[in-house]
Amino acid sequence: MAITAADDQLAVERVLAGDIPAFEGIVRRWQSPLVNLAYRFCHDRGRSEEMAQEAFLRAYRNLKQWRKEAAFSTWLFALATNFYRSELRRIPVHVPIDDIHEPADPRAQDGGLEAKDRDRAVRRAVFALPEKYREALILFYFHEMDVPAAASSLGLPEGTFKARLFRGREILRGKLPQLLAVSRLKEA
Amino acid sequence: MAESPIPGSILQRAMMPGAGQTYERDKMETGGRMNNDELDRILSKQDDIQPSSGFAASVMEAVHEEASAPPPIPFPWKRALPVLIFAVLALAAVVAAGAVGIAQFGRNVTPEAASSLWDLLPPYLHGPAGTAAAWTAASLLAAFISVKLSLRLAGGRV
Repeated sequence: MAITAADDQLAVERVLAGDIPAFEGIVRRWQSPLVNLAYRFCHDRGRSEEMAQEAFLRAYRNLKQWRKEAAFSTWLFALATNFYRSELRRIPVHVPIDDIHEPADPRAQDGGLEAKDRDRAVRRAVFALPEKYREALILFYFHEMDVPAAASSLGLPEGTFKARLFRGREILRGKLPQLLAVSRLKEA
Repeated sequence: MAESPIPGSILQRAMMPGAGQTYERDKMETGGRMNNDELDRILSKQDDIQPSSGFAASVMEAVHEEASAPPPIPFPWKRALPVLIFAVLALAAVVAAGAVGIAQFGRNVTPEAASSLWDLLPPYLHGPAGTAAAWTAASLLAAFISVKLSLRLAGGRV
C-alpha cells in the first residue's frame, strides 16, 4: 500500500476535529516502522511493542504540535526516537559484551571466522558504543543511510550527526578485532 | 509523495552478488580494519520484525481510554495565589527581621546586648516552660492554618 503524506495530513486533521478512530489509519501505516525502530534500540520484541504503543499515545496527545513544516513521518520519528532514548536511559539494554579482552594478535585470529559470526559481532558491538554514537548508528541505518532524516530524528544538526557517525564507526572499527577474537574463543 | 515505511532497499543492495567480496580487499587496504562500506553492508542488514496482530487494536484501545479520560484538574491558581503571596510576604518578613536582628546583634556583641534582646520577649516566655509553651502554640497555629488552607484549596470554601 502506497503511503502518502496527504493521507497522514488528512488523518491528523480528522483526529484533531474529534474523529478519534481516524487515528487508527496512522497507527496501521506507521506501526511497523515504529516497532522496528524500537526493536533496533532494544532488541526485545515485547519491549519494542510496548515502547511503540507509548510512542503512538504520545503522538496522539501531541498531535496539535505537528506544524506541518516537515513531513508527518519526520515529526513522528523524532517523537518516537526521543521517547525511546529516554526509555532506554531509564531501563538500559544489556547486551553481554563486557567480557572482551585483548588477544595476543587479533589480526591473526580473525581470518577463519565465518562471515555470519563476524556480522553478528559487528551488530553486537554497536551496543557497546557510548550512547550518542550508538544512537547515531542505529538511526543512520534505520533511515537507510539518509543523514538528514536520521539527524532530524535525533534533533541534531547534520554536521553534529555526521561527526557522531564518524566517531561511532571509528570506535566500532577499533573494537572489532577484540570482538572477533572473543567470538572465536567462544566457538572453540 | 510516496514514502516507504520499512527500510528495504539497502537490504537488497547489501544482498547483491559480490557485496561481501570487498571484505578481504578492504582488510588488506586498512590493515585488518573494516571500511565504511563493509560496516554499512553489515549494519544495514538488520532483521525486521512484524508487529503482533493485535498491536494496532491495543494502541487504539489505549487511545480511546486516553480520549475518554477526564481532563486533568488544573491547579487552582486563583485560590492558591493569595496564599502563596501571603507565604512569600511572611517569609520575607521573617528573613528581614532575622537580618535586622543579626545586624543589631553584630553591632552589640556584649553580653548585656544579648540579654537585652532576650528581655524584648514577653516575660512568660522566659524559662524552659515558657519556651515550650510558645513553640507548642506556634505549632498549633501552623497546623490550624495548614488545615484551613487545605480545606479552602480542596473544597473551595473560604
